[in-house]
Amino acid sequence: MSIIAQMAVSGALMGLVYALIAYGFQLTYATSKSINFGQGELVMVSAFFTLTLITLGLPYWLVVPGGLLFGAALGLFVERAGVRLALEQKSEGWILLTIILGLFLFSVAENVWGRDDRPFPTPISHEPIRVLGVDVTPVELSVAIGVFAIMGVIEVFKRQTLLGKAFEAVSADRDAGELMGISATHTVMLSYALSGVVAAVAGILVSPITTVGPTMASALVLKAFSVAVVAGLESGFGVVAVGMFLGALESIASYYLGSGWREVPGLLLLILALAVRPTGVFGKAIIRKV
Amino acid sequence: MWKRLLLIRGAELLMFTVLAAVPLGVHNPYVLGLLTLLAIYGILLIGLDVTVGYLGQVNLAQAAFLGLGAYTAGLCVTRLGWGMPLATLAAIAVGTLLGGLLALPALRLEGPQFALATLSFTALTVTALNELEWLTGGAQGLSLARPPLLQHALTAREFYWLCMGLLALTWVAMRNLLASQWGRAFEALRDSPIATDAMGVGTYRHKVAGFALGSALGGLAGALYAFNFQYLQPQTFVYELTVILLLGVVLGGRKSLWGAFVGASLVALLPNLLSNRTLFEIISGLGFLLALFAGIRGLVRRTIPPFQAIAPILGTGVLVAGGLLVTNTEDWRKAIFALMLFSVVVGLPEGLMGFASKFLSRLFRIPDAPLPAPSPLEEVLPAIQVKSGSPLLEVRDLKRYFGGVKAIDGVSMTVPVGQIHGLIGPNGSGKSTLVNVVSGLYTPTAGEMSLRGQPLPVGSLFNTARAGVARTFQNLQLFTGLSALENIMVALRDVYRRSRSLPLVLLGLGRVEEKRAQADALALLEFVGLGQAARTPAKDLTYGAQRFLEIARAVARRPDVLILDEPAAGLSHPDMLRQMEIIRRVHQRGVTIVLIEHHMDVVSGLCDVVTVLDGGKLIAEGTPVEVKRHPKVIEAYLGEVEAGPALDPATAAPAPG
Repeated sequence: MSIIAQMAVSGALMGLVYALIAYGFQLTYATSKSINFGQGELVMVSAFFTLTLITLGLPYWLVVPGGLLFGAALGLFVERAGVRLALEQKSEGWILLTIILGLFLFSVAENVWGRDDRPFPTPISHEPIRVLGVDVTPVELSVAIGVFAIMGVIEVFKRQTLLGKAFEAVSADRDAGELMGISATHTVMLSYALSGVVAAVAGILVSPITTVGPTMASALVLKAFSVAVVAGLESGFGVVAVGMFLGALESIASYYLGSGWREVPGLLLLILALAVRPTGVFGKAIIRKV
Repeated sequence: MWKRLLLIRGAELLMFTVLAAVPLGVHNPYVLGLLTLLAIYGILLIGLDVTVGYLGQVNLAQAAFLGLGAYTAGLCVTRLGWGMPLATLAAIAVGTLLGGLLALPALRLEGPQFALATLSFTALTVTALNELEWLTGGAQGLSLARPPLLQHALTAREFYWLCMGLLALTWVAMRNLLASQWGRAFEALRDSPIATDAMGVGTYRHKVAGFALGSALGGLAGALYAFNFQYLQPQTFVYELTVILLLGVVLGGRKSLWGAFVGASLVALLPNLLSNRTLFEIISGLGFLLALFAGIRGLVRRTIPPFQAIAPILGTGVLVAGGLLVTNTEDWRKAIFALMLFSVVVGLPEGLMGFASKFLSRLFRIPDAPLPAPSPLEEVLPAIQVKSGSPLLEVRDLKRYFGGVKAIDGVSMTVPVGQIHGLIGPNGSGKSTLVNVVSGLYTPTAGEMSLRGQPLPVGSLFNTARAGVARTFQNLQLFTGLSALENIMVALRDVYRRSRSLPLVLLGLGRVEEKRAQADALALLEFVGLGQAARTPAKDLTYGAQRFLEIARAVARRPDVLILDEPAAGLSHPDMLRQMEIIRRVHQRGVTIVLIEHHMDVVSGLCDVVTVLDGGKLIAEGTPVEVKRHPKVIEAYLGEVEAGPALDPATAAPAPG
């Protein structure tokens, strides 16, 4: 029993990282109905960049903002190179283009930083502490704190600031927003920059636990996709709930079935959810209009 | 006619003859291997093009179906000792079945969600192939020996001919499919899934069948892949291969058999391109010059957005510069793919063959195949003598709520046979919702609907259309990419019998019905006065002609009830008169019509009885004259007023809505 609890808790904490990446999808989906299929590469490249800053000997209070800024820049790059033209032409070309940009970033990372996994130093301790009969490491706890902090900040920003309100306005109705003098293009750029920051946060939080390597991109992003689709692309609360559930499930599955199978429950859950509720468990039903 | 056959079929015949003759002259096993791979990828990409090109969905599962087909064939040979034909059939069956199973849930989704679902399927497949070690050998791989075909051990050259033969068969079968009602349905559902359902064609079943067919070809290609390499590893069929296959389809050109073939050559040749430095430099240099030339030309003439001109120059520029800096191009494989793909997707969205076919069609003017003489109208739309009076369409206490909004709230209405029944009301009164519920777009919250006393299907455009209700749309839902003639051909009823069965169509047996369909559709086009515009793409018709075409398309269903949702909205006065004439003529053929309209003169001129809705409730019913004088109607349009002279509601509500 305690083994299951242990597995569930550490899995759920990992699941928060998937939730955070899925939250990045939601940010851009809200403003532009598009998502970055290369988001995993953004997570990975930002983590590598941050690792480089650490090895250069910069202090942590400089390293983390540097990583986040880099993530934002990558997000803007993806928007400019892969998304904007397709959105202007109202085509779904962005799906292909963001996949392509992801492939490019992957290859660059492979050649610049190497194909091997590398440890990611952190000032936070890996020594487990016992909470309610379950072992948790402070690093794992830092994941939870970081995820909730960044999501909280962005939600407050969206609700309390003028820029955030513009963001919400374009999300609700792009044309009406434009008529009110809000530039939809700038809002989409903002959402991609935010999504890039979120990806960088995810990379910085998860790397001390999983190490950094090119393959982390696809491993993380697949689960984030599952979370986003199962939860729906609208609900921030939904991704957290589904993310933690999925994380716990996969951790238990890998314990009982072997680590090769750890991704299977998530993928099955995804296909099942699609069959039962295509708009996601927390998504809104779409009303077709003619 | 002959010129057309000669040019199109001749080019195909020439290509396959040359390809078949190559091994007679060239004895290099390496070249033979490449050509075999080309045939296999050709089949695979033709299958992928069904979803990516014709259904317009980004499909990331084709690599998985290649893998599943390969492993199925491999296991049938090693475990069961089956011969080549049986193992190949098994691979095709697995592709079809799993493709259908994946498509059932996944194709309820659109765009990104569909791409995600197929991507997950690929990941799931690779995991399963890796982890089911007792069956597949896991990461160790699976070795097999190519079994003999009918007791004859194939040489490499014979196996190549087999693959080429299968590619040619696939090619012909696919061409048959695309030239049939199926091909039209694929195009139609991409332009307007709602209208495809409303014309009784069935968006979902066509999508699922299309996807399953593409996956079946994936399975076939997989079997050949297994017999060719005789060694399989799960790692071959991962995400990266999927992306390369997409590269092939997009680069070659979507919605084109030639495009799939060009793409396949590219995919087969890519590894060589990267290992041969000079070849890589030549190709990247040529690409850069092409992008530079086309980009500057586009910028100067302002034919394309600046980004579309500059991005390919940058992409290919990085490719050339990178080629000079990097020592080992193999290491940068993915970045090179990405840059090439990026430049093509942005710069040549229609792919190489899309580009080439535009160019070639200017060079050789190929005349269209002549159209048959139109069928007699009596055959296409028989005039029915109706005894008016008996109820045809009945609606009892119908309700539809959206959350707290009661869009229609207990409406009862009876439309007798042979009537033109008007439905009017101010904006937001629930007219469109009522029509959308009756035609099956929305599920009613409560209430009953029946046609000839039989309950109408609920919440399915497709089933309602099949039951005998046809409709038009307030904001046009034409199949914009299809010609006027094809728009009607999609909707024709009782013409396609053989064409409904996919195997018969693939064998080319649906072709005879095409002439008949063209003749029937032409008769209906002439019926609405568009006989001259048969070849014009629907999107290039004038607005008025588009409205007429939509009615002709709905009439092609030979409906019991025809629902016209604001057929005169936005029409000029002459067009409006013409539209009224068309509606009258349809009515004279015995079709019962429900007409939603804002123009009061149209309503007065056509309708026998008018129902007035306001706030989701029925407020008046009667002849147009009676209704115009009804105090509640005047109140609904103008607000509460003292009883005064009758007013024309149309002047109070000019906007469609």
